[in-house]
Amino acid sequence: MITLCVVLLSAFTMIAQDAIVKGRVVDSNSSDPLSDVEIRIQGSVFSTVTDAEGLFSIIGANLPQGEQVLIVNGADYILQQIPITIQSGETINLDPILLVLDLSEVEAQIGIISLSDNELNQDEGTAFNISGLLQASRDVYLNAAAFDFSATFFRPRGLDNANGKVLINGIEMNKQFNGRPQWGNWGGLNDVQRNREFSMGLKANDYAFGDVAGTTNIIMRASQYRQGGRVSYALANRSYEGRVMATYNSGMTQDGWAYSISAARRFGDEGYIDGTLYDANSFFASVEKQLNEDHSLNFTAFYTPNRRGRSTAITQEARDLKGIRYNPNWGYQDGEIRNSRVRKIQEPVIMLNHYWNIAENTTLNTNIGYQFGTIKNSRIDNNGTTLVTTADGQQFFSGGARNPLGDYYQRLPSYFLRFENPTSYDYQLAFQAQQEFVNNGQLDWNALYRANVDAQGNPLPATYVIQNDVNEDTEISANTIFNTTLNENISFNGNISFRSLKSENYAEVADLLGSTGYLDVDNFTEAAAGDAGSELVTNLAQSDLRNPNRIVGEGDRYKYNYEMNANVLSGFAQAQFKYNLVDFYLAAMAGQTTYQRTGLFENGNFPGARSFGDSEELSFTTFGAKGGAVYKVTGRHLIDVNAGYFTKAPNLRNSFSNARQNNDVIIGLEEEKVQNVDISYIYRSPIVKARLTGYYNTIQDQTDLGFYFTENLSGLGIEEDAFVQEVMTGIDTRRMGAELGIEAQVTPTVKLKAAGAFGQYTFTNNPNLYLTSDDFEGALTFGDGTAKLKDYHVAGGPERAYQIGFEYRDPDFWWFGVTGNYFSNAYIDVNNLARTSNFTSDFDGQTFNDYDEDLARELLQQEKFDDYVLVNVVGGKSWKIDQYFVGFFATINNVLDQDFVTGGFEQGRNSNFRTIRDDKARENGPVFGNRYFFGNGTTYYLNVYVRF
Amino acid sequence: MKFSSIYKLFLLCIAVTFVVSCVKDDDFDTPDLTDSEPNLTGTEITIGALRDLLIQEQITNGNAALTFEESDLYISGYVISNDQAGNFFEELIIQDTPSNPNTGVRVLIDVSPLFTSFEFGRKVYVPLDGLTVAFGNGVLSLGIRNGNTLEKVAESQLTETVLRSTEVAEITPMPMNISDFDIEKTNLYIRLNDVQFNRDEVLGEGRKTFAAEPEDEFDGERVLESCAEGTSTTFSTSTFADFKAVLLPQGRGTLDGILTLNFFGEEFNVVVNDPSTIVFDNTERCDPTEVDCGLASSTGDNVIFSDFFETQVENQPISGNGWTNYIEAGTETWEAFFDDGSNGSLGISARMGSFLSDDDSSIGWLITPEVNFDAQDGETLEFKTSNSFADGSTLELLFSADWDGNPDNITTATWDILPAAYIVQDDDFFGDWFDSGTVDLSCISGTGHIAWKYVGSGDSDFDGTYELDEIEIRSN
Repeated sequence: MITLCVVLLSAFTMIAQDAIVKGRVVDSNSSDPLSDVEIRIQGSVFSTVTDAEGLFSIIGANLPQGEQVLIVNGADYILQQIPITIQSGETINLDPILLVLDLSEVEAQIGIISLSDNELNQDEGTAFNISGLLQASRDVYLNAAAFDFSATFFRPRGLDNANGKVLINGIEMNKQFNGRPQWGNWGGLNDVQRNREFSMGLKANDYAFGDVAGTTNIIMRASQYRQGGRVSYALANRSYEGRVMATYNSGMTQDGWAYSISAARRFGDEGYIDGTLYDANSFFASVEKQLNEDHSLNFTAFYTPNRRGRSTAITQEARDLKGIRYNPNWGYQDGEIRNSRVRKIQEPVIMLNHYWNIAENTTLNTNIGYQFGTIKNSRIDNNGTTLVTTADGQQFFSGGARNPLGDYYQRLPSYFLRFENPTSYDYQLAFQAQQEFVNNGQLDWNALYRANVDAQGNPLPATYVIQNDVNEDTEISANTIFNTTLNENISFNGNISFRSLKSENYAEVADLLGSTGYLDVDNFTEAAAGDAGSELVTNLAQSDLRNPNRIVGEGDRYKYNYEMNANVLSGFAQAQFKYNLVDFYLAAMAGQTTYQRTGLFENGNFPGARSFGDSEELSFTTFGAKGGAVYKVTGRHLIDVNAGYFTKAPNLRNSFSNARQNNDVIIGLEEEKVQNVDISYIYRSPIVKARLTGYYNTIQDQTDLGFYFTENLSGLGIEEDAFVQEVMTGIDTRRMGAELGIEAQVTPTVKLKAAGAFGQYTFTNNPNLYLTSDDFEGALTFGDGTAKLKDYHVAGGPERAYQIGFEYRDPDFWWFGVTGNYFSNAYIDVNNLARTSNFTSDFDGQTFNDYDEDLARELLQQEKFDDYVLVNVVGGKSWKIDQYFVGFFATINNVLDQDFVTGGFEQGRNSNFRTIRDDKARENGPVFGNRYFFGNGTTYYLNVYVRF
Repeated sequence: MKFSSIYKLFLLCIAVTFVVSCVKDDDFDTPDLTDSEPNLTGTEITIGALRDLLIQEQITNGNAALTFEESDLYISGYVISNDQAGNFFEELIIQDTPSNPNTGVRVLIDVSPLFTSFEFGRKVYVPLDGLTVAFGNGVLSLGIRNGNTLEKVAESQLTETVLRSTEVAEITPMPMNISDFDIEKTNLYIRLNDVQFNRDEVLGEGRKTFAAEPEDEFDGERVLESCAEGTSTTFSTSTFADFKAVLLPQGRGTLDGILTLNFFGEEFNVVVNDPSTIVFDNTERCDPTEVDCGLASSTGDNVIFSDFFETQVENQPISGNGWTNYIEAGTETWEAFFDDGSNGSLGISARMGSFLSDDDSSIGWLITPEVNFDAQDGETLEFKTSNSFADGSTLELLFSADWDGNPDNITTATWDILPAAYIVQDDDFFGDWFDSGTVDLSCISGTGHIAWKYVGSGDSDFDGTYELDEIEIRSN
């Protein structure tokens, strides 16, 4: 895959002793010449690719002599291994080499397409970069992880999406906000994202230093697409109901132009989870002009506006009554499903890429990217108020309503049975609540509208509106990537990269729901007992003191409004060495990151410069180094070792403790320190391929920010409720484990495979934890200021996953496969506050007088989810009709309809010994039980395609 | 070659897709919310009749509550409570007519907020089947029976329990005097004219909020006084109200609110939906004037006047020693008593109380003989008070420089408050006696009388008793 040499050798002057291996590669069916086919002499550093006419040649005085194997590897084609005999001064001409289309590869591409659609589905932090993994690497383990483990939140090596890098045409696409790539920005463009280069872990990558979860570079460049087109249609019941996709690529034309266009639409009124609409269009265009032999200029633009109806984690009680498809976020309006929580992404990307062959073995690739647009997340704002002025001129805010969602805890049976010895009346209420929840349990849109109008239907000031949380980013990226091959053994890569982001963040009124307008104040701001005077309160409640008591309408910004500026300058340098016995590389990087918040509203709780204007400018200096080697014991046995250490700026999201309200910087913010080492044993024989890897990874000084409402704050006196920001700093975690993948081509048609991941992902220290809030002053800490998280598991997917499977591949171009997958050791995301001294402390900060150490230990035990087995079936068939390839590809996942939990979290509302004890002890179930994400039951996906 | 056909295919495909695969966009229209009058088939009864049915049940069968089963009766009424500002919670108060109402009832519903459906003035129907009527917290209430208590109707039953008419009426508050408060008038929307908050709660640095004082628990209770009548009542606000931190208005004027009872069903409370119905635009308050020399740091040795009541006759009106014992209203008077129980007297003590007197009004004066403040320096007053469930009754310490000693002229004389003295409060322990403190009288010149004035609340069920003893006026 590594483009060692783009230079064509046609005009090369022959040296007498040179051996020459040349030839022409064509498609066995159409006899069309095939370009970009990789030609390599096995076990040597000599390799090249075919040109547009399918021609190649390898010339050299020091070609390995004697009987050798020539590897011919074309994307989508079955790999050929041709025995040749090389002798100095001799020319071997292989014309034609006929390559047979590998339909399984085509199908795998379709597989990628089906999977990466799911990524749109996932909320941040849950999905791993599976399509990156799927990159043509035929690694058995990675294939299992991508195809079969991904439905469970499984994260290879326990790493988050933010620990991997995604590049498009060499430009980093990870968002600075949370470090994660926003897959929705190129969803549906799978046809034009087939060219991917993936480096696993910290292995050498030609474009960037990368990150521990690997680096994917997606090449979306017009000249790199093979001439032809593809139309496909898919049906599914997972995230969308249908998808059409069409693509046409011109290939490189005679006059040096290439272009590619692709469009897709994915749609559905609901996916597997109720009420999750899917409405996504994707457009892509790329034009490239080969200016001359040395210069090529490419323009790529894509725009994928999409809307997704969101679901949420639900309690066991809700699941038992409504099933795993239950989603409280929606209700019917005029007979249509309307979801209150919709994510809408509209962030077009344009880029200009310049490719320059400076010299024979030296290239410089310079890229400029520009992205703009918005990400909007909607939800119901049920806190609309009106300003009331008393006869003597005092003011207060009147109104607000209860959470209207069907699964609000005060609407569930457990709430009515929360006290000991419920009476018959309690049972009656619980029964009625249960009936209501089972038979309905959804949003009543009409009631929301009704609250906003009077008896005659005239609009009133809003009690309910739909709020969008908007993230409006404008980012410019520029980089230049240098590549040179000094000699046949040594190559050098380097880059310099700059990114500048301006991110505006604000809430806007998306829908007034029939009301006249929304009073922009925070009605939760309460006067503390004894606070005299309401003037103070009315000021405190202002979102913007400079514009008090504003009535806002649709499209207006309200609640919060601020800008973030982030600039990153970085560079890396890498040297790669290839020898017969060992390949190795060394790389180093350095970077400078600055962040600044600029408040556009002056928040009433934080008047003056605390919220308005520029914050302190944060600056982070990062550096790192890595190295690795592949030791070739023989051609069949390889040992691969990689190690690295680097530092990383905390992401933008985790740098300001309460960016919506103020300029406060997180106390104790530091660069993350990442250390990683892995060692693999790789075995390859014509029948068996296997890889066994052990890895050990630590990340130190991570920062994490959470927002929730809690009722149990100690040390504040009787007033224990607050909406808080939870800041954890100095988080040290460790991931270690082993991965195994093995497959055996038992017969030409039957392949057996097995894969396994065995890991342990834990906290290795007790991080610092403090809370901030507009309900109290300063940073609130408990006891020694730490959360006792050491040895707790880091939540996120199963730590252990095993697969056995087989594939049958009929020579007649049909095939099917079955896998059985076993998952275990997935853990819940714990409530950090309950692991601080707050847990043991009464309202006055003293230990509860009924504190019981043993019971506490039991209460704080981290929930481990049940083990489960998923069986997946996959199959397909392809036909060649004239110049068209026609085929279908189908999967049925979770054939046994196994119920399983993919993840979950403890609610933050109860955070001390007494309340957790009492809630868990409730005979009729907890009121604030853990919330879970449930995996899909049996689902299908069917794709039909035509390729030409 | 086949480029044109490819494009056709391509375009067709895209076109078909976009047509076939529409997903509802995010532009939803406001739904049609036109209400229609509910169609009730049963028999309508008035809220007054509902009350009568309950009383009949209590008298005839001795049951505290009446549950309607298989009943086709329903009531109608107009909503007078509004929970938008949070001062009402999970209850609707409805009265029978928009103006001059007779009876009102409280409907308990486990829904918050209610104003979004049941705004002030909305006419509603309440089918009684399945509901229970009782005096909950002392006032006529509808809800669900749970043993001996009345509970809220479940949220899921709301639409069957309270049906909305299309009518939203203008509610005319019914003018009422504090002295006219009656249990049958609770749950009605009333207007109190010419009222003010007690001076201790709104004047000076200690101006109180509606319900955000440290001592306010569940409710903030404030004293509301009638300027016209001299009577007072309790004004109550929830600590969950949005306006709990608003300061009480300082003037005097009109207040529209709901007459109800406190949580324990023992005392009249006036509650507003929000403070916008309190219009105290007259800045001339009707407070008594004060004579305030503060407290003295020492007392002299010379006793000018003293009475420990030991020579009085038990259960007889206080007399002799220069006392004027005057009944301004009612039948009760200051009398001597002896008690060695838990609510003991100090030997023989004086007391006055109108509890269960059935008086419409009880006002009693106990007045010292004339004191000449020019004859000596450093005059001080000390006495002790105790109470027995004072509830709505009050005891005040007054001074008059212009009373001529004729009982007939007491009410026309000018009586100023002596605010420095501590007088037992309703929430003080009934068994204890409280020192007044050494009340400094040295800033008074000329002659005058000191009086203890007892005022009942106007409802003798809510009155209590004040005890008085160990009175001494000294000087240097």
